Amino acid sequence: MWFLAIRHLFSRKRQTLLTLMGIILGTAAYVAISGMMLGFQSFIIDQLVNNDSHVRISAREDFITAHSMDKDFFGPSVLVSWAAPPSGRRDNAYILFPGAWTARLAKEPYVAAFAEQLVSQVIITRGKFKAAANLIGVEPTQQSQVTNIQKYMTVGNFKDIGTGGNRIVIGDLLLKKLGATVLETIYLSVGFGEMRPFKIVGTFHLGVKALDESNIFGALADVQLLGGTPGRISDIAVRLYKVELAADVASTWNMLGDEKVQSWDQAHEGIMSVFTTQDIVRNAMTLSILIVAGFGIYNILGMAVTQKRREIAILRSMGYLPRDITTLFLLQGLVLGIAGGFLGAILGFGVSHVMASIRVSAERGLGGEHMMISFLPSIYLKGFLLAFLASALSGFLPARAAGKLTPIDIIRSESG
Amino acid sequence: MGINLEDIHKSFGLPPTSVLKGINVTVNDGEFVAIVGRSGCGKSTLLYILSTLDQPSSGSVEIDGRLVENMDIGEVHSFRNMQMGFVFQFHHLLPELSVIENVLMPALKRNLAQQKRDNALKLINEFGLSDKINRLPGQLSGGEQQRVAIARALVMGPKYIFADEPTGNLDSTNGDIVMGLFKRFNQEQKTTIIYVTHDPTFASLASRQIHMSDGRII
Ligand SMILES: Nc1ncnc2c1ncn2[C@@H]1O[C@H](COP(=O)(O)OP(=O)(O)OP(=O)(O)O)[C@@H](O)[C@H]1O
Ligand SMILES: [Mg+2]
Repeated sequence: MWFLAIRHLFSRKRQTLLTLMGIILGTAAYVAISGMMLGFQSFIIDQLVNNDSHVRISAREDFITAHSMDKDFFGPSVLVSWAAPPSGRRDNAYILFPGAWTARLAKEPYVAAFAEQLVSQVIITRGKFKAAANLIGVEPTQQSQVTNIQKYMTVGNFKDIGTGGNRIVIGDLLLKKLGATVLETIYLSVGFGEMRPFKIVGTFHLGVKALDESNIFGALADVQLLGGTPGRISDIAVRLYKVELAADVASTWNMLGDEKVQSWDQAHEGIMSVFTTQDIVRNAMTLSILIVAGFGIYNILGMAVTQKRREIAILRSMGYLPRDITTLFLLQGLVLGIAGGFLGAILGFGVSHVMASIRVSAERGLGGEHMMISFLPSIYLKGFLLAFLASALSGFLPARAAGKLTPIDIIRSESG
Repeated sequence: MGINLEDIHKSFGLPPTSVLKGINVTVNDGEFVAIVGRSGCGKSTLLYILSTLDQPSSGSVEIDGRLVENMDIGEVHSFRNMQMGFVFQFHHLLPELSVIENVLMPALKRNLAQQKRDNALKLINEFGLSDKINRLPGQLSGGEQQRVAIARALVMGPKYIFADEPTGNLDSTNGDIVMGLFKRFNQEQKTTIIYVTHDPTFASLASRQIHMSDGRII
């Protein structure tokens, strides 16, 4: 029936072409928009996963509540009623027993690497100018194993931080904000502590504005010294062998100690919920493409069946079975779906390429020089399958109706 | 062998109007039979029941010794494909296909297009259409189209040809050609031919005429 199906399609060139165009455009739109959304998502996820860490163990922030001072002041057995209850937040939070954590992490089979960190809020002073920043004390070798920071260095080498000696690398936007240059010395202080000189030995550009304009990496020992808290750490960044395990691992560890353990996606719930919204939009779009393509095919085949009643009768009188007739029309739908899906995927690929070459300003935040477009094969496969499915489903009804027509009824009504 | 109808009744619609009212008829192999009668008397209805395209409301149809009601859909269709050819008043060619493709359509159903191709070309030749094998039906005259339809009905070498007013839409010259072809195949191939006609001249060519009036054979 192939042969006749193709002939039928060619005999209705204009209808066929219009329907085909619809399917092509639908598929191409799906491919291009999915490519754009997924490209954006995977870019962001890459940033989050690789610049932060898969799992972060951090000291729980300790809030002072109405009764958290009772014991310290009055002992355990006194019931205290405060005229003005204490409130506030303890200055800096530390991981109480980092040794227990590191011993554990070293043994876990799914942990690829981990890095101890001390994160402090610092004030930068350069001449008369002051700015706030986030100083992260790390052991550079450890840190490089957990994140891809070295890849994002624009000047210098991340390991130049060393293990002491007040050398730092800072975000390129922060450098610009300070008006400083590499190899210059700036002063950092924690709270009311004294200012100490630090030498800028490199810059990095992660492509996330918030990080590039506020993060500074220094040696762990230096940061501990600056804060007057030798030996203390506030965070442990962990890299797993499989990033997919992050959420599960984090949830399990969370129950082990006082510390807060979060996976990268738990920590960035806000962004993840944006992605969820995007996915909903994408699926809604998918559905509408299905419906549009489906109605197109349903329509064209329904008309074809009506137009071809005589031929159905004559085919049946020649001994063609009802299911041959159904196949004849179903094939027409499938040819449209397959051709439209295939050409649509190609067109979508072309459009994606054009979009990928569009320059976007790096200043506005999201890293890359160009629009991030995903070329995942699964997008193309899905687009194609959508077109195929739409055509199969919507071709089915008219095709089955055609199969149910009896030759005698047609002959009577045609020549009756 | 042949076709044997016993006490066939056929009625249509609600309340049922009776169109065939107890038909008993036998058509033997190799016969050349005309069904005649006034318009609306049930000729077409009878022809379609004889040819398995329609089913009677009651009564039995036996073809080559087998009851049609006992055959499954696949058997009926393959019987139609191999043993029966149909010719209708309005030629009913497939407009997208060329002359040769139209003629070979029944063979395509059995994947016999290659084997039957010579036979198809021979028929087309005999019917005076050899210079038009690649034309589409729309590029042929009515008489030529009807000859293509007959070639198609004959391509599988069927035992039976059923024709409902095959000359009804043709002028007398083309009508003569069509009837001449039927006659020839009846004599040369022993094809059983059953046709409905209004034309007394064409009816007189038959070896037997079945006269109908108001749903009965008279
Ligand atoms: N599907 C149907 N529903 C109702 N009545 C029908 C149907 N088909 C045929 N009839 C009626 O049955 C009767 C016989 O029809 P049939 O087509 O067999 O006549 P005919 O002898 O072939 O007539 P004609 O010479 O005009 O072709 C007619 O009165 C017709 O109106
Ligand atoms: Mg009739």
